[in-house]
Amino acid sequence: MIRTLLAVLGRPGDAALRRLLAGLIAAAAIQGVGYALIVPFLRALLGEDPDSAWPWLAAVGAATAGYAVATWYTQSAAYRTGADLAQVLHHRLGARIVELPLGWFGAGRVGELTRLASQSVLQVMSVPAHLLRPVVTAAVIPLAVVVTLFAVDVRLALALTVALPVLAFVLTWSNRAVGRADAARDGVSDEASARLVEFGQAQPVLRAFGRTAQGYDALDAALVAEHDADRALVWRTVPGLVLFSFAVRLVLAVVVVLGTHRVLDGTLDAPTMAAVVVLMIRLIEPLAAAADLGAALRMAHGHLAGIRRVLDTASLPEPVAPVRPVRTDVEFRGVSFGYDDRPVLRDVSFVLPEGSMTALVGPSGAGKTTVARLLARFWDADAGEVRVGGVPVTEIGSEQLMSLVSMVFQDVYLFDGTLADNIRLGRPDATDEEVAQAAAVAGLPSPGGAQTHGELPAGIHTRVGERGVLLSGGQRQRVSIARALLKNAPIVVLDEATAALDPENDAHVQRAVGELARRSTLLVIAHRLPTVLAADQILVLADGRVTQRGRHEELIDAEGTYQRLWQSWESARGWHLLPG
Amino acid sequence: MSAPEQSGPPTAAGALRRLLAPLRGRLMIAVVLQAVSGVAAVVPLAAVAEVVRMLLAPPVDEGSVWVAAAVCGAAAPVSLLAGTAAVVVTHLGDVTLQLALRRELARRLGGLPLGWFSARGSGAVKKAVHDDVHALHYLVAHTVLDVTTVVVVPVAAVGYLVAVDWRLGLLSLVPLLAGCWLFARAMAGAGSKMAEYGHAVREINQGVVEFVDGIAVVKTFGRARAAHERFLQATDAFHTFFSRWAAATTPVTTASQIVSAPPVPLLLALTVGTTLVTSDQLAAPDLVAFALLSPGVAGAVSGIGTRLQALRTGGTAATGVVSLLDTPGQPRTAQPRRPDGVTVRLRGVAFGYGERTVLRGVELDLVPGTVTALVGRSGAGKSTLARLLPRFHDVTAGSVSLGGVDVRDLDPEDLYRAVGFVFQETTLLRMSVADNIALGRPEASRARVEEAARRAMIHDRIRAEPRGYDAVVGTDVEFSGGEAQRIAIARALLADPPVLILDEATAYTDPHAEAAIQQALSAAAAGRTLLVIAHRLASVTGADQIVVLADGVVAERGRHEDLLALDGHYARLWRAQQPAVAGAPTARQETTP
Repeated sequence: MIRTLLAVLGRPGDAALRRLLAGLIAAAAIQGVGYALIVPFLRALLGEDPDSAWPWLAAVGAATAGYAVATWYTQSAAYRTGADLAQVLHHRLGARIVELPLGWFGAGRVGELTRLASQSVLQVMSVPAHLLRPVVTAAVIPLAVVVTLFAVDVRLALALTVALPVLAFVLTWSNRAVGRADAARDGVSDEASARLVEFGQAQPVLRAFGRTAQGYDALDAALVAEHDADRALVWRTVPGLVLFSFAVRLVLAVVVVLGTHRVLDGTLDAPTMAAVVVLMIRLIEPLAAAADLGAALRMAHGHLAGIRRVLDTASLPEPVAPVRPVRTDVEFRGVSFGYDDRPVLRDVSFVLPEGSMTALVGPSGAGKTTVARLLARFWDADAGEVRVGGVPVTEIGSEQLMSLVSMVFQDVYLFDGTLADNIRLGRPDATDEEVAQAAAVAGLPSPGGAQTHGELPAGIHTRVGERGVLLSGGQRQRVSIARALLKNAPIVVLDEATAALDPENDAHVQRAVGELARRSTLLVIAHRLPTVLAADQILVLADGRVTQRGRHEELIDAEGTYQRLWQSWESARGWHLLPG
Repeated sequence: MSAPEQSGPPTAAGALRRLLAPLRGRLMIAVVLQAVSGVAAVVPLAAVAEVVRMLLAPPVDEGSVWVAAAVCGAAAPVSLLAGTAAVVVTHLGDVTLQLALRRELARRLGGLPLGWFSARGSGAVKKAVHDDVHALHYLVAHTVLDVTTVVVVPVAAVGYLVAVDWRLGLLSLVPLLAGCWLFARAMAGAGSKMAEYGHAVREINQGVVEFVDGIAVVKTFGRARAAHERFLQATDAFHTFFSRWAAATTPVTTASQIVSAPPVPLLLALTVGTTLVTSDQLAAPDLVAFALLSPGVAGAVSGIGTRLQALRTGGTAATGVVSLLDTPGQPRTAQPRRPDGVTVRLRGVAFGYGERTVLRGVELDLVPGTVTALVGRSGAGKSTLARLLPRFHDVTAGSVSLGGVDVRDLDPEDLYRAVGFVFQETTLLRMSVADNIALGRPEASRARVEEAARRAMIHDRIRAEPRGYDAVVGTDVEFSGGEAQRIAIARALLADPPVLILDEATAYTDPHAEAAIQQALSAAAAGRTLLVIAHRLASVTGADQIVVLADGVVAERGRHEDLLALDGHYARLWRAQQPAVAGAPTARQETTP
């Protein structure tokens, strides 16, 4: 745990933590010495001459004062270290987020990172202030006591040397047992959570088919499974929870019985026996406190591991001297790529000539989106090269590459501001006229536009709501296109909507795509016929390979994927909804 | 400091009392067991002290010594057994409570208007039913017992110590009181600080969301630095706030900790005790009892913070659970009426979300066996209108009736058997393909499931899976958008409702699938009352009735030819669609050599 903390902090950030640890150890050691000094003190006090106890009491007092001073300083250092630790972690996470390849940011990452940056960092922050001290105390006090005792009474010291490891072993074992049982339960709990999310998301369909009226069996089964697992967990963790306190009480009882026996035998003097018992209780106290922290420690460890996973994720290498390409043609040269061990693209080669429009078509799962993402360097290709203007994207540098490429994807990111604010993200220094113009081309309301936009009451100044909830799917996509128009990058990658667009929307999108094609090198993942027909070049992707390429006229007569796609489009167009 | 806290907690306390009511008996038993365990934990120490006192004051009565030693030994298992029993009782009670609460919450959720879900998202469901209920666990299973221990142990210890020597016994209360006083001082003003803390944490969350959610866009538009800056600002603000807060409170909390941790109370007892012993006011052996027990008395202070926190967290969670339990659901009729036939009538229907009116004065009849198409621009209210039939929402004025009975007066069972829905966004559940198809007819035979899949043109695709119809969606198999749509259609075919609502999808992820889906839809349409939310006018030109919605009102209605002749909204929509869907390819084809 401490090692992970130090690793996550890195040098020189870990210096404060190291100092804190040293301080905590010192405070606990002084406390331990103080406890050990109680033995000679009690012997003196309970002996013939109680007054001879005063010097020993003074020594105990000095140790206690030392402990108080050390605690005073370490505790404020602990809070400071915790806060600094949080700041270092936040900064390192922030730097990491910037560096991580875009491909890493899949579904669920926002939730994960939000959790890490708030909950996890805050938990880790509390480690120095609340967890480190009890843990260090529990480890150091027994050691300090034993060492000091060797100077005072060798037999006693030897007895403790035997008893302590046993207690420590029991403590570790019971903590592990509870940890294992907890971990086993997590799976069941995740299942119940997932079912609940499903239950929320699937409400419309569950209702349409009467499953909320009758009860949704899958959810109930998951809830019952969690209940059963929790019940079983109670029986499995209770032994772990009580074992340590049982061991402690057993050791105490044994000490009392043996001690009494020996005192009565006359082989041990009563004051020493009294001192031993007092010392035992003082030793047990920090151990018991640490035992209570098992769950908190496990949790903190889990949080820390989560942060570390993100920090340790490899980022894409950045060039030392980025090269700025002069041309804006794009070339894929023998590109292969796979997610984990599932190959997606195999030996893909093609050229997008400067200023041309290319339509990428193919059945779903053929790898179209992956091609688009490799162009924007979401990941690096496993084999082969992606080149822009003849320069491999790995040598251009992420930031520069991003300035060359606009991406219009289906999952449009919108923040809670006005429509205009969201469009302006494309180029923050754009004038109002430029924003309005981009909006108009994309078919969004613009101040001078004559369109009626009943659903956008304030036109371009309508607020879009958190994540754009107040916009329709079509409107969201048009915002994304307007951004790209405004950014006016020389290369545009566009994933044509598969979401519902009404005919009017469709017309706007077609027009905007035409405008983008006029200005840039355009790669479109095409789902609509007009787009395909308008392309200078069609690339047909099937099973991760480019199987056909050319213009529509060249491809339509050749047997193959394109012809089949075309026939499907045709037959779908000819369809009429007629009950019969 | 207690005054401002009094205004908040009553609701939290009320919520807790209500949720924990079924457990009250068990919790009482657990508290008693825990109290026994607490006392029995003090007894061995007292017995040890007695053993030592007797051994130190000869002549030793061996019998009494062994009795005391036996008490020390025997009290340990008693404490352990009682404590374990208390833990088991609270944990089992908690487990039972959690299941009961979750079931009740799931039942409530099933009766809430759908708008509740769209406004909050499924995360809210998980939070309320899973996380909030779980947050009660610590309170029910642990805190109740912890608080008992915190109270019982010092009382028992001080009781014994006072019996040994009243002066030193009362003295052992001093560190406890000093610790409590200092702790209270540290907590003064914590309420407003906690609010500030919460605010700072929310700022971090917002910073992350803004930073990460749009990372692709943010990076593409070269805005990564700005988003990064905002995130860092939020974290630095938090750091500054927290460091200041900690710096201001650390001296007091540390002082509270130092006076209540064992060394200081111990030194206090020993110093005063030694003074008394050396001045012959106390027998030296009596001091052993104080060395053993007095440091533990003030130990309770260190636990106050976490217990308070647990109470606060539990109270907040309980408030969340209770407010969900109390959210009014869709009203259900006590005396359901049976529909006579399946004619659907909308009379003077109005609907709105909050203050925004979506539909006004809608009149519509769906005659059995006919096809009605709903058309209009996006946002005109087509989907909303269709969703009133299966009562996803209830009208704000007017009525929707099925077979002459208002849908609100129908048994929900009758309603869903009569009205089916194929959504544009298909939802497959994480269960077997067969169960997905049989969602509305769980009792259907496998043969009928396969028959429905065949008619929906998805049978072969399912058969291609190694586990076939038993393949679990999302685990064994992922379906593409088009395939999922066909499974949803098979679901509707099997449910076989006389009234079917189709939310027609305009675009598909895979053109291969498009033709198959259209065929499947045609199969589903046959012989039913059909309401189609149409985005592509070409596919509904043959409808018996086309209803054009504009700004929430029925602007036009009639057959295709009549509406074209009218030259109004419909004609405009039709023209807008022509070049985009049908015109362009034909024009291009003509130029093909």
